[in-house]
Formats: sequence, C-alpha cells, structure tokens
Amino acid sequence: MNLSYLIEPFQYRFMVEAMLMAALVGGTCAVLSCYLVLKGWSLMGDAVSHAVLPGIVLAYIVGAPLAVGAFLAGLLCASGTGWITNHSRLKGDAVMGVVFTGLFALGLVMFTKVTTDVHLNHILFGSLLGIERSDMLQAVIAATLTLVILAVVRKDILLYLFDANQARAVGLNTTFLHYLFLALLSLTIVAALQAVGIILTVAMLIVPGCIGLLLSDRFGRMTAIASGAAIFSAIAGTYLSYFLNGETGACIVLTQAIILTLAALFGPKYGILFRARAARRAAAGREQ
Amino acid sequence: MSHGSTKLNKNDISSEIDLHVNEVTVAYNNGHVALFDTTFDLGAGTICALVGVNGSGKSTLFKTIMGFLTPTRGSVTIGGKPVQVAQKQNMVAYIPQAEDVDWAFPVSVMDVVLMGRYGYMNFLRIPRATDLEIAIESLRRVNMLDYKERQIGELSGGQKKRVFLARALAQRGRIVLLDEPFSGVDVQTEAAIIELLRELRADEHLILVSTHDLGLVPSFCDQVVIINRTVLAAGPTHDTFTQENLARAFGGTLRDLRIDHTDAPDGTSNEFRVLSDDEEPLIFGHDGRLVDHWHPGIDEEESK
Ligand SMILES: Nc1ncnc2c1ncn2[C@@H]1O[C@H](COP(=O)(O)OP(=O)(O)O)[C@@H](O)[C@H]1O
Ligand SMILES: [Mg+2]
Repeated sequence: MNLSYLIEPFQYRFMVEAMLMAALVGGTCAVLSCYLVLKGWSLMGDAVSHAVLPGIVLAYIVGAPLAVGAFLAGLLCASGTGWITNHSRLKGDAVMGVVFTGLFALGLVMFTKVTTDVHLNHILFGSLLGIERSDMLQAVIAATLTLVILAVVRKDILLYLFDANQARAVGLNTTFLHYLFLALLSLTIVAALQAVGIILTVAMLIVPGCIGLLLSDRFGRMTAIASGAAIFSAIAGTYLSYFLNGETGACIVLTQAIILTLAALFGPKYGILFRARAARRAAAGREQ
Repeated sequence: MSHGSTKLNKNDISSEIDLHVNEVTVAYNNGHVALFDTTFDLGAGTICALVGVNGSGKSTLFKTIMGFLTPTRGSVTIGGKPVQVAQKQNMVAYIPQAEDVDWAFPVSVMDVVLMGRYGYMNFLRIPRATDLEIAIESLRRVNMLDYKERQIGELSGGQKKRVFLARALAQRGRIVLLDEPFSGVDVQTEAAIIELLRELRADEHLILVSTHDLGLVPSFCDQVVIINRTVLAAGPTHDTFTQENLARAFGGTLRDLRIDHTDAPDGTSNEFRVLSDDEEPLIFGHDGRLVDHWHPGIDEEESK
C-alpha cells in the first residue's frame, strides 16, 4: 500500500465535493444537536426526519423542489405534535411516535403509488456520492440559512430552552422562538437528508451534541466540540467509505459513534475512566 | 419602617407596580383546574407570603403572573398593564423552584446572572460593560462572586438559590417572585435571602414569596395570601395569618398542640395553641392571633 493510494479519494472531484457537503451538513446538524440533547428533544429529530417523506412525494407530484415539500412536512410534524400534546391528555413521546410513524407510513404508501425516478433507497439512506447539483444546492442553502439564523438567535434560543420563564421575564417572545427553532430543525433535516438519508439523520442530530456535552460544561465550547467532531466524522467517514466501498452515510455515523464512545470512556471530567480514577483516589485519600 | 406610609397612599409611585390578580381561573391542558376565582392586590414596598399546601396552586399562580400560563378567565395586571407589556420593561423578576431548573445545563454562574440582563442588551445579547458590572455587583451582593465561573450544577442548594437571586437583582425588576426559596437551603442562606428581601422592600420593591415554612412567615412578611386552589384569606400578616385561616388551609397536615395555662400565677386565661409543620412552630394565643415570635429560651423563663 503506498501513499498515492491513500490520497486517491482526494483526486476525484465528486469525493472532495461530497466531503465538503458532508462537513457543512454535519456541522449544521451538530449545532442543532447541542440544543436538542440539552432539552431532551433528541427524538424530535427522529420524528421530523421520518415525517418529511410524504412532503417529498407531494412535492414530486406537484413539481416543486423536494426540499420545500420536506421542509413543510417537517415543520407540520414538529408543530403538530406540540399542538396535540398541549391539547390532549396524551404524553409528548406517544404523540410524537404516532404522528411520525403515521406520516412515514403515509409517505411510503404514496411513494409506491407514484412512479418516480427518485430511488427510495436514496431517500432512506442518502446518496452523497451520487448527489445531483440541484439537490446539493438546496442542501447548501438550507444549511447556510440555518447557521446564519442561529448565529443571530442562539442566545435567545438557549435561554428559552434553559429557562422559558426567564425568557419571558426579560421580554422574549417564547412562542416565536419555539416555532423558529422547529423551523430551523426542519431546515437542517432537509439538508441532512441529502447526505445521510432519513434513517441516519437522527444520529447526526444526537451524537455530536452528546460528544460536546461529555467533553465540556460550557455551551460555547460544547458547540465547538460538537461541530468539530461532526466535521471530522464527515470527512473521515466519506474518506473511509471510498475504501470500504460502503454506504457513505453509514460510515459518517459510525465515525461519530466511535468518537462518542471514546469521549464517554476517556473524557477528562465526565469520562467513565476518569470518574473511576477520581473515586479511587478519594477512597485512598480517606484511608490515609 | 418609613415605607409603611407610602403603601397606604395609592396615588404615588408605588401604584406603578401594583399587582392585580383579578378573578383568575387557570386550567391545565389535562383539564385540571388548578386555580379558580383567585383575586388579590399588592402594592410596592411589600413582602407578601404565598402559603398553601403542596398542590394548592402556588407555582401555578406564579406562572400565571409571569404570563407563562394564560388564565381561562380573569386577568393579571401590573401597574395597570398586561403582563407581557410589563415584562418588556423588565418589571418582573422570577426565581424558579429548584426542581424547575436543569442543573446539568452547561452554563456558568455568570452566564445565568447575565440572563437577567438580556432585556437590556441588543438583539445579539452581547453584554456591554454595564451589564457585566451589574452582574458582578449582583453576585457580590449575594456573596457568590467567587463562584462566577462554576457550572451551576456544582453548587450547594443554598448557593444555587443565591445565583438565581443575583439574576433577579441583575434584572432590576421591581416585582420579585420567589417560588419556595427556602426549600433545601441552609440556615445561613435563609437569613441572607431574608435580609436581601428586606433591603428590596425598603427600596420599594414588591416581593411575593411562596413557602410552606410557616414559622418563618411572620418574621419578615408584612402581607400574606393563603391559597388552596383559590384565595382563602389575604391581607396584613397580623390579621390574616391566624390559626383559623391556617387550619383551613392546611387541615390535618399540621401538628396541633393545645397548651392550657389557666392556672398561671396571675390567674388569667392563658390558652396557647401551637401549629407546627415540623419547621419552626407557630404559637397562637386564645384569640387565635399570633403570639409574638417564639424564642425558646425566653419562653421557658417566662412560664416559670
Ligand atoms: N403541567 C401540569 N399539568 C397538569 N396539572 C398540573 C401541572 N402542573 C401542576 N399541576 C397540578 O396543579 C395543581 C397545583 O400545582 P402547583 O401550582 O405546582 O402547586 P404548588 O406549587 O402549590 O405545590 C396540582 O394539583 C398539580 O398536580
Ligand atoms: Mg410549587
């Protein structure tokens, strides 16, 4: 095995583009994931990513950009579950489970009834290496828009998630922030779908946030670590998939999972090994 | 206290921060009516205790005053304005119940105190020099400045309360709502909180404190609102915090001791009743009014 073999992936334009695209999408998901993980809303990402399927099919039927259909369906699911939870005696997780599997099922039924040139496999698992120009453009726009808006409202959203009462007390419009956040989530998912597909999007929306939380106790640092880990995973995963001849999305998610495992074990403050060592030291100190 | 007189005169500046809770009914989404026909008024320069058993609706009332829950009937106004308008002017500061806070959240003590300043910052919420100064001064006032870089979970119960108190101070709200500030708190912090609330009262703030630590109430609250899903009694502590009202609100949950001293040397009827919720006991004379605050040592001296 020589060096030129190892740098081979970088010689193909489609590989480099795929890496950049995965990095952008992964980074965006990572930022969102910090909020989701802190709020305990990880499943929201799962719900919304599944619920976009009927939106995609409908968009296909009327000839609109698939991203638009996906975005609207995602937003509908996210706000719909919230609304139903607030107006019924069912708990949020149950409502979410019903709404997202229901919409996903509807999407599947619609999909088989409509003959499309979109492969279901691509929607479910992404097609980073074979992505079309227009899809790539949509994903880039969605991710960039999300990052720009988040840059402006990140502190407000953080306060809303941490202490909604305080957010109101200082005059923030919490209803607006809530729906804005759901809209950003939908937008991110639209971008992520292109890269890793419906099934694996949820990982990109949970794992980086968990890595950040394990390695830091400040939100700013947590976001930086999460994005760093996600961008690294995106590039490394895409790179590996070239050699493994495997699913790109799966390789990205796998890389993230490995980093998460390492962080959980070896993290300097919250890592399992560190804690065990600290506990041992404390016990030894007591004996003296 | 020189501020007693301003409270009676409703036309001066104190009326700006009058709190009116007017026939408020609040139902949760599951249909449970947590409060009904709840009415009371408070003015500036007051510390008012909100007392009631667990589940009587104290937190619900706070969240309604904060506009977080919308009454199905009735209204809450602050200085004649709806809550949302008052909040835009940073008039109301809120100190949440400890259980309502996610202590694992990756924010530092300083971050939390600065959250009290958001209403004064620009839309990016970048703190200006004054915001930082005020946050630091607020932390110093509650004696927590040394901890400003700590993650909020790494504090004792008393320290956590102080941080949120500092946030309320930093917000400069003239109305301060405290939900169970004394639960899980050491005696030192308890005394510090009470001292601070007294200072705020002297500074013409309106303070509403929920607590089920009954023995503490007469020592620093000049008004009391007793609730159990609605207002059972409201008014000055001396008239409201009576044995009869408390028995109505707390029923069998309080320990009730009767001590009859009719054979006291001076021959006067001298029946006492002691109500206790396992914290500081309350002592009532035969008229059902509070006997002056209890001092164990002195009391024994007197009964000899
Ligand atoms: N989110 C909620 N949904 C439904 N019922 C609630 C909710 N929060 C509180 N309750 C109910 O409302 C009543 C009043 O609760 P709360 O205001 O928290 O009482 P307190 O603060 O006095 O202990 C209780 O019976 C409680 O079970
Ligand atoms: Mg409560």
